Amino acid sequence: MSDQDQPDRDDRVLAGEYALGLLSAEEAAAFEARMVREPELRALYAQWAEDFAGLTDDVTPQAPPARVWQQIEAGLFDTRARGSWLRRLTLWGGGLAAAAVLVLAVGLPDLVERGPVPPVDPPYVAQIAAEDGSLVVQAVYDDATGALFVDREAGGAAPGRALELWLIAGEDAPVSLGVMPQDAQAILRVADDLRGRVAGAVLAISDEPEGGSPTGAPTGDVLAVGPVQES
Amino acid sequence: MTTRADIENLIARVAQGDRAAFKALYGATSAKLFGVTLRVLNDRAEAEEVLQEIYVKVWHNADRYTVNGLSPMTWLITIARNSAVDRLRKLRRAETPAELEERIADDAAGPEALAVAASERGRLVACFEELAAKHAEAVRRAYLGGETYADLAARFDVPLNTMRTWLRRSLLSLRECLTR
Repeated sequence: MSDQDQPDRDDRVLAGEYALGLLSAEEAAAFEARMVREPELRALYAQWAEDFAGLTDDVTPQAPPARVWQQIEAGLFDTRARGSWLRRLTLWGGGLAAAAVLVLAVGLPDLVERGPVPPVDPPYVAQIAAEDGSLVVQAVYDDATGALFVDREAGGAAPGRALELWLIAGEDAPVSLGVMPQDAQAILRVADDLRGRVAGAVLAISDEPEGGSPTGAPTGDVLAVGPVQES
Repeated sequence: MTTRADIENLIARVAQGDRAAFKALYGATSAKLFGVTLRVLNDRAEAEEVLQEIYVKVWHNADRYTVNGLSPMTWLITIARNSAVDRLRKLRRAETPAELEERIADDAAGPEALAVAASERGRLVACFEELAAKHAEAVRRAYLGGETYADLAARFDVPLNTMRTWLRRSLLSLRECLTR
């Protein structure tokens, strides 16, 4: 397969183009589908990834400012600072559920949207629906992993607005579970300290500015609600 | 000095949800990855945001590291590079053709600016040197500058298909050289 006249037919070249992010979304998806089945193709990609990483050898390391670590920690581990951070996590979650090979493509979520899959045999389910059916979201929740799979069956955010998902446990104030991703199906990750509070709680969706509520509490209309029930 | 085995070990512990290991991994690798994001984005505020995204991805995907066959630094660098390129392309989508022209004229740094330093990657350097200078620059710009075929065609002022052919032939030559 080293026909110099037709380099575009060579998998070695294709793997290089994929590694550089030069393929169109369709071509990249087709390449990824093949990688799932073809270990040789994965090896070709891995080889390019190693070689191209060498192009960063002359990149001078630079210590990032301390705030970067503080924000990472707050975003991942501090539930008081969620909001827009969870949104990013859930956007990322869109790429997570696809085959393990997607790790190879990590960081190119535009190219690897394959859609998450709901947990098998989930302990809890909820239908978060508007009374008039203008917004319907099915949710399934696994308290062991904190994975909350959402499937938006009807409705969506208004232009320039966002849908934010809230957990209302008992008499407590609503706690944000994050902004609903643009994709109809996604997995949101419930923070460790909230995991035990989902059972028996109510999930609600409110209309918020892009990026989610700026205050940490719902600011717009509550569009849909639904109780979390054992499945 | 953090060795490859140290980083692998840290990633394995992060996969188990070990926050201390996550902090240690950040300590050992964030300067390199920040350097990479800065190189791609050339904007500190954007690079800082992307660096946060990168470590969130690392936290959530560490358990998948072992299956992908990459060395640990390559895995991290690839996440960093791809995340930065992703951001760069989002920023560029808003660009008008005039702005594109201006950007390309502005950062017309010569190949020196993107040269690969002499290092243990001598083979890589040697193989890039076997390419025509323009072709080597195109490959480097695709990787470190996140440039698309359209960007590269505009930069080198050649038709899109010519650019594709250049780049594909360059990749083939590189691969043949690298596996010699």
